[in-house]
Amino acid sequence: MKYILIRLSRSLLTLIIVVTVVFLLMRMMPIEGYFGASFDKLDEAQKTAKLNNLGLLDPWYIQLKNFYTDILKGDLGESITYRPKVAITKILGDKLITSIRFGLASLAVSLIVGLSLGIVMARFKGKFWDKLGTCYVVGANAVPAVIYYLLIQVYFTDIFKLPLLYSKSDPKSWILPVLCLSLVNIAYYAMWIRRYMVDELNKDYVRLARAKGLKNKDIMTRHVMRNAFVPMAQYLPASILYTVSGSIYVESLFSIPGTGGLLVTAIQRQDNTLVQALVLLYSSIGIVGLMLGDILMASFDPRIKLSQEGGSR
Amino acid sequence: MKKILSLLLILAMILTACSGGKPPVSQTPETPETPGPAEEQPEDADGGKYAEEQVYKTVYAEEIQTINYLTTTTNVEFALAANLVDTLVDYDMYGVLQPALAETWEVSDDGLTWTFHLRKGVKWLDFEGTEVAETTAHDFVSAAAYILVPENESATANLFYSVIKNAEEYFNGDITDFSEVGIKAEDDYTLVYTLKEPVPYFESMLTYVCFFPAYGPFLEEMGDQFGTTNSALLYNGAYILSEFEPQMHRILTKNPTYWDSENIHIVELNYKYNKEATSLAGEMYKRGEITAVELPASIIDEWMNNPELKAQVRPGTLGNYSWFYAFNFDPKFDAQYEPENWKIAVNNPNFRKSVVSAINRIAAMQTEEPYNPEYRIINTITPPNFAAQGGLDYTQTGALKAITEGDFFDKDKAVEYKNKAVEELTAAGATFPVKILMPYNTNSTSWANEAQVVKQQLETTLGADYIEVTLLPHAPTGFLDGTRRAGNYSFMKVNWGPDYADPQTYTDPFERGFNYNFPEYTTDVTADGQNIFEVYEAKVNEAKAEVTDLAKRFELFAEAEAMLIDNAFVMPYNVSGGGYVASKVHPFEAPYSSFGISSERWKGQKLLAKPMNTEEFEAAQQEWQAAREAALKEAAKK
Repeated sequence: MKYILIRLSRSLLTLIIVVTVVFLLMRMMPIEGYFGASFDKLDEAQKTAKLNNLGLLDPWYIQLKNFYTDILKGDLGESITYRPKVAITKILGDKLITSIRFGLASLAVSLIVGLSLGIVMARFKGKFWDKLGTCYVVGANAVPAVIYYLLIQVYFTDIFKLPLLYSKSDPKSWILPVLCLSLVNIAYYAMWIRRYMVDELNKDYVRLARAKGLKNKDIMTRHVMRNAFVPMAQYLPASILYTVSGSIYVESLFSIPGTGGLLVTAIQRQDNTLVQALVLLYSSIGIVGLMLGDILMASFDPRIKLSQEGGSR
Repeated sequence: MKKILSLLLILAMILTACSGGKPPVSQTPETPETPGPAEEQPEDADGGKYAEEQVYKTVYAEEIQTINYLTTTTNVEFALAANLVDTLVDYDMYGVLQPALAETWEVSDDGLTWTFHLRKGVKWLDFEGTEVAETTAHDFVSAAAYILVPENESATANLFYSVIKNAEEYFNGDITDFSEVGIKAEDDYTLVYTLKEPVPYFESMLTYVCFFPAYGPFLEEMGDQFGTTNSALLYNGAYILSEFEPQMHRILTKNPTYWDSENIHIVELNYKYNKEATSLAGEMYKRGEITAVELPASIIDEWMNNPELKAQVRPGTLGNYSWFYAFNFDPKFDAQYEPENWKIAVNNPNFRKSVVSAINRIAAMQTEEPYNPEYRIINTITPPNFAAQGGLDYTQTGALKAITEGDFFDKDKAVEYKNKAVEELTAAGATFPVKILMPYNTNSTSWANEAQVVKQQLETTLGADYIEVTLLPHAPTGFLDGTRRAGNYSFMKVNWGPDYADPQTYTDPFERGFNYNFPEYTTDVTADGQNIFEVYEAKVNEAKAEVTDLAKRFELFAEAEAMLIDNAFVMPYNVSGGGYVASKVHPFEAPYSSFGISSERWKGQKLLAKPMNTEEFEAAQQEWQAAREAALKEAAKK
């Protein structure tokens, strides 16, 4: 319990530092960015009026104070250049839900297929399935994702008569984006679970279990899997939480209105409030995710004690 | 362990079931997005020219930020607003002014008071098509009152207050009584504008967003949420924004109560957002999922080499952003590029002319338009077809006629000028080679290539002992701030877009104290010893003051512009637009205006049964050009 509290307070400090630094950096950008291409045509009076409205003419500590008081009231503010005057919670709301859905769907698919593939590869180590799986893993890691996403989109839509772009009303339009998102993760999970399982299989307790006469299947599922999964559990909560950030490329290709690319666009457009809100969101998620991961890992493996030195992996 | 695995499996099944199966609840009537019905049904009353189904579909990569037409300045947002809200006047397909929301209008003898008599029975609808109110003269006043409040951040307010009496004073807070501003609704259907001084091009400004109407009570009710979504807007134009989901799609449906609805043939405009639209649009067009595509440079070669595809491609129409190369008369760059030396060289007319004559603009243009480089080249700062007076296009007026019909490129002359310049400059104390700093924006590969070509041309024709061109790549963020506005260049390509349909707008970049090429610092003189810029300025002021004899006004502006070009203060280069499109939209049937948003309207436009190819386009363009000249002459007689 004490451990969690200490961890939380350290995380909060990190969060505050990160958000403040981003806040200040955004305000060092040239003001030309808030106006876009028409900057040359605007009068001084118009420029001052707009900057005043955005609160950008106040000294930086006043702006910072206003920002934090607003956050504490639960007000994330309005977007300034991305979609002017629209509340950020409104912009983020739908996008987050869409990205999370896709993220979770692809996570589920990758876990199931990836873990199964990894287990099969470990079971038949050195034989055909292992070799096939390794080909796939190497391929998925070596070929840049941008290439096969586009190829999948153009050719699979033709061959399987699937829609080119995502649309809410058409469930078939989910298939290709989820497939694209899962491909790399399947390779990742397969590779790691195979590695950990092979590690475990070389340990003494497995030989003992075999000597005792336990069925291979039982050894795998009751003992080896559980131990092998522990290191992967550390990253599972973070993966789930990171689905909120969406996937930039898949979302752009398939017209999915998610959060992927939102941060990049917001930075390019110098939309201070949106960038701050997103940084706050992503940092919090990262911090919470890591913490949950450690806790989950500890719950899997009683040998791991978090509060001692060198306890968490 | 089994339990955990089974739990995971169950979780996974639930999630995939959620994501795959359940049809989501949508707020607005959905239109199917998957490959639409075939648009090629050649049997038609016109003998097969027009498509049977008039639905326009496209993908776009740049999302609009707001629909509040009173504050915005981006082209995509204008294009949207143009079709949702009508204006007092509009243009026909030849660029002749037509009545729109105003049926008749007149101007007082002193040119200061414009009175407009509005059409009756034009309704404001909401996004579902329900009637809310009638459009009256008060709506224009409400819109103006909104724009002139600085807190509303209208980016076009300055255009409004540059002509309307007391508007600027009200904006700055010098007067607080809005009734003193020169816009009044004398009754529901009579609108009166009072100008600061006579403005001959005032009518052309009326199609710009700052002169749009907005229903007062609705505007007040919405406050700063006006125009943030389609339900926060009222419509009296040709179309209603029935669906609007940013980063997804927007759909415009024909307004059934539109006063001119018999001229609106396309019943639905369907825009689907896709960030990778440039990569996918070509493919989607081939599959018939979209009606028109602008071919990105990456696939033009592929299309041109395939005869079947080539038959569907035609050049895009020209825009009105004018690009020209400018000589900087107030250099403020790094000492290593020798600004002091540049200052001596740039004030020598033979030096400037040698540079201009050495550039083969057609060869440079090939980096952007490999198949048709001459198409966009212009010889004047003001593009052709921008403004005409008495049926005569501005670029054919007075001193500009010879420039339009000539060319600057002449290698022999370039060497001649160089020899004279070397003599004169050595006497003036300059050192050779003269360093030329030429920045370009790295976000454009074609500009980078063009810069290389220009550098090569200059150094080959004039010799590396005479000039040394240094290219300065600059990132897109803060590009203009870091180069042009800071005086951090010797010679660079810049551009300007018009603010109204009169040649005066293209003199704005050269105003004293502005931030283009600082010509007021020149020491170069005319044949009779007067400072060239002062003569130019005087001529421009004379032209601006000429508000009654418009033919003379155009001639005076033409003289001024010819001065800049003949003295090689700038080198006109090209006009925006061009490129290649594969499109079922006829390029010359929509309203045409060189300024304002009329060209973005779909009035009169019909979708063709098959796309127009290049030969048909060229024939159609010639036909249009001739018809336009005739129409302008006709209109000038009235």
